Amino acid sequence: MSILKKIRRSALLAAVFLCPMLGGSCSNNPYPAPTQETGADGSPWKVRYGALSEDPRSLDPQVCYDTVGKRVIEPVQECLLEYHPFKTDPYELQPCLLEALPERVAGEGGKTTFRCTLKSGILFHDDPCFPGGKGREVVATDVQYAFQRIADPKVECPALSTLQDYVAGLGEVFEAARKSGEADYSRAISGLQVTGKYTFEIHLTQVYPQLLYWLAMPFTAPVAREAVEYYDGKAHDGIARDLFRFHPVGTGPFQISEWKRNTRIRFVRNPHYRTTTFPKDGWNPARAAELEPLAGRSLPLVDEVCMTIFRESIPIFLLFRQGYLDSMSVGKDAFSSLITPGRDLSEKYKERGVTLHRDTEPSTYYMSLNMEDPVLGPNRKLRQALSAAFNTPTYLDIFYNGVPIVAQQLMPPGIAGHKKEFRNPYGYNLEKAKALLADAGYPNGRDASGKVLELTLDTSGGSADERLGAEFEQRQFEQLGLKIKVVENPFARLMEKLDQGSFQIAAGSGWGADYPDPENFLFLYYSKNIPPAGKNASRYKSPEFDGLFDQMATMENGPQREEIVSRMNALLAEDVPHVLLMHRSLFSLSQPWAPRIQSNPMLEGGLKYAVLDPRQRGELQKQWNSKSLWPIILLLVVFAAASAAGIRAYRRN
Amino acid sequence: MFSYLLRRLLFFVPIVAGVMLLTFALFFMVQSPKAMAHRVLGPKATPKAVELWLHNRGYDKPLLINQIPDQPWHDSLFISQMRRLATFDLGRSDVTGRPLSEVFRQGALPSLLLTVPAFLAGLAMSVGLALYLVFIRNAAADLFASLLCVALMSVPVMVYVIFGQYLVAQVFNYFPAFGFQLNGWSTAKFLFLPIALMIVSGLGADVRLFRALFLEELGQDYIRTARAKGVSSAVVLLRHVLKNGLINLITLVVASLPFLIMGSLLLENFFGIPGLGNVLFTAIQMPDFAVVQASVFLGSLLYLGGLLLTDLCYAWADPRIRLH
Repeated sequence: MSILKKIRRSALLAAVFLCPMLGGSCSNNPYPAPTQETGADGSPWKVRYGALSEDPRSLDPQVCYDTVGKRVIEPVQECLLEYHPFKTDPYELQPCLLEALPERVAGEGGKTTFRCTLKSGILFHDDPCFPGGKGREVVATDVQYAFQRIADPKVECPALSTLQDYVAGLGEVFEAARKSGEADYSRAISGLQVTGKYTFEIHLTQVYPQLLYWLAMPFTAPVAREAVEYYDGKAHDGIARDLFRFHPVGTGPFQISEWKRNTRIRFVRNPHYRTTTFPKDGWNPARAAELEPLAGRSLPLVDEVCMTIFRESIPIFLLFRQGYLDSMSVGKDAFSSLITPGRDLSEKYKERGVTLHRDTEPSTYYMSLNMEDPVLGPNRKLRQALSAAFNTPTYLDIFYNGVPIVAQQLMPPGIAGHKKEFRNPYGYNLEKAKALLADAGYPNGRDASGKVLELTLDTSGGSADERLGAEFEQRQFEQLGLKIKVVENPFARLMEKLDQGSFQIAAGSGWGADYPDPENFLFLYYSKNIPPAGKNASRYKSPEFDGLFDQMATMENGPQREEIVSRMNALLAEDVPHVLLMHRSLFSLSQPWAPRIQSNPMLEGGLKYAVLDPRQRGELQKQWNSKSLWPIILLLVVFAAASAAGIRAYRRN
Repeated sequence: MFSYLLRRLLFFVPIVAGVMLLTFALFFMVQSPKAMAHRVLGPKATPKAVELWLHNRGYDKPLLINQIPDQPWHDSLFISQMRRLATFDLGRSDVTGRPLSEVFRQGALPSLLLTVPAFLAGLAMSVGLALYLVFIRNAAADLFASLLCVALMSVPVMVYVIFGQYLVAQVFNYFPAFGFQLNGWSTAKFLFLPIALMIVSGLGADVRLFRALFLEELGQDYIRTARAKGVSSAVVLLRHVLKNGLINLITLVVASLPFLIMGSLLLENFFGIPGLGNVLFTAIQMPDFAVVQASVFLGSLLYLGGLLLTDLCYAWADPRIRLH
């Protein structure tokens, strides 16, 4: 065959290949086909599509503590208690695997017993670890096994450090296992006593009402011993089994049907699920028309969930615009395209029926001031001056698009003790800051000898954003005439410095609520929690604060407790062991076919309450993804012209 | 030949050991194992939890030599890891606990599906275009193409990725903007765009280089002889220049072959292809020293293998070269 013929044939082949591929037969839908087309009743199979930032590190309920892991495990592994999806002010717990909230029995010397009864007839997911592959009933010994796993050093349960202070015998079992190098599962934990098939008691060595919140976390969720023993990561009959940490066997509304590492996690509904139903109350009356029809309905409300792993944020926005994601968080990359300067959704997306949500996390971010530092520690006025010099509203406008709430107090909104009307007495006020600095012995930033006061600001990371942030922070304090030396640290090094107390001002500190109780924030300034014992990185010591903490920590929420929390807040506001920054808020969007139902930030997505209109989605996806033909034609013309030019040149030679 | 091979293979041992020592030193000079634990466990981890994490992974051992009384000198972090790697036991991820042999096995195929077609098609297109430019050398079209090549070289890969994803996947809706599914021929729809972008981003530099190589070949005496005998320009190019020019290409091309398995860090991340580039990117971000160490170990072996392969191919292609 001549060269000319070869070129012609290649051009023809390319055209034949490109035309159907680009023109129609190739869909831009990135997802695999749903598990089923229709449900058992013939209704359309409903699949929700969401995004994850990475693979979960572990789905072992006794280990899972990171945000992604908690999101993935929530629909799979139910807890003994759970948060009500609508009651957030104050937050309210409701029974999940338990029949009712535990009965509390006070004992001598502050000892407390929580009597718990599991719901009967709740089944673990069908799984090969059980005989015949059929999930067995959850019983009290599964909770006992979970507590034994908490005390196993090889499991590395993050809850151990707290729970061992309260649950009788937990710390002793852990220490014994640590010394021997192997946990002894035949040894019972005295603080967890099984009293019947479905009943058990948790014995505490001291009063600790917050235990209820720990019962709403996966750490204390029942675990089937068969599952842990079956999924050992080894080969059996030539087939390698997963590790238990990648193969949770829970009782939740969904089971993981597929986990492709670095790609996606798919969940399908648990056909035996009957633990909970849609709540019958608790929502805002304005949403009654939307939510009343769902009251009492069986859960979950969709059949399948597909979570895709995105390591970059740009593709999330692309897929959302195409209708291939049902919801998304508004990150920096897409902010200006989606949100108007007035912090509203842009008209273009309103017309598409997209809804904008603003969620405030129960969290507080601040800069830690080291109370053991010889310059900052003894000089309260100096710390007050630093706090008053920091222009937090501008900082949030520049670096967070003005979305978060300026923190006026340690306690975030929704947590008992948060006072809406409270204003930080040392919030941004430059004139006041200068006056305070003069009172502190450093008029215009100079000491009595005229020497400029130099302080060190430790920041994390070296990215462009972090560097700009550090420059801004430096400039704020230098307005007072001080000299601020910025030290950039890798994140882990900053954590080390915070633990060692080798800093003066440390940026990037913060705390997100493990549970919605003031104790979970105020313990950050309890003197017994100075590292290595805990997370009091500022090394704040105040006998009055400690006394109030001891009193408040064991109290039930009520006016008296709120009064104590207010006093503690006032102490922190005056002593200034930190420069308060923000309570983090995020914008997120939902598509018209997938309105958001639950509104509780303590839930990790609340997937069992998610709804979907698959018909509307199908129609809009079709409308938003029509293909243009002109680029293909243009491409073919260019290709033909180049081929023709080549052929002509060949013929000339 | 055999003694040459044996000698080269024996050289691998000290080189790989040196690379591993350097990696170990660099990694732990930048951050201590404790700092790594902090990063993995997050800001809420207590010092006790950090200690437990280090102990369970053996990171509480002395770094290079164990000088603790009553303990063997070789019971150190580096030596125990080297002993493990010497038996090709890659170990487990520090973060997830997954066996790394499984992680690399699963990541290799998606990476190869992206890089091999891009490499082959890119090579074919570069060689073809370079030959064409040599064919029409000094014409206006050649000048224009050279300018275009410089322009293509000047645009950062990131721009190609974002622009390609937006235009082809979002505006024209031809391919998925993101995602991957290993499912026969339908896998192609996830790969077409990243492959095209990979080719385009490398085309400018390759065409310029190959054009220069072919032009140099065109100035050789044997070409003048062929032309004097009345052989047409097209035949001279396709039969003589191409064939002899390819010997020079071998050194450039063969050494890069083993690296195809390591994937493309940027494209895999932006298109959601679960390849080894993605694995390495995540490991560096985390940081997961076990994954980084295993990647460097395999990477250094691949690099040395590539160099050896280049030498062997060169001797095979050019009869003037003899290996001793």
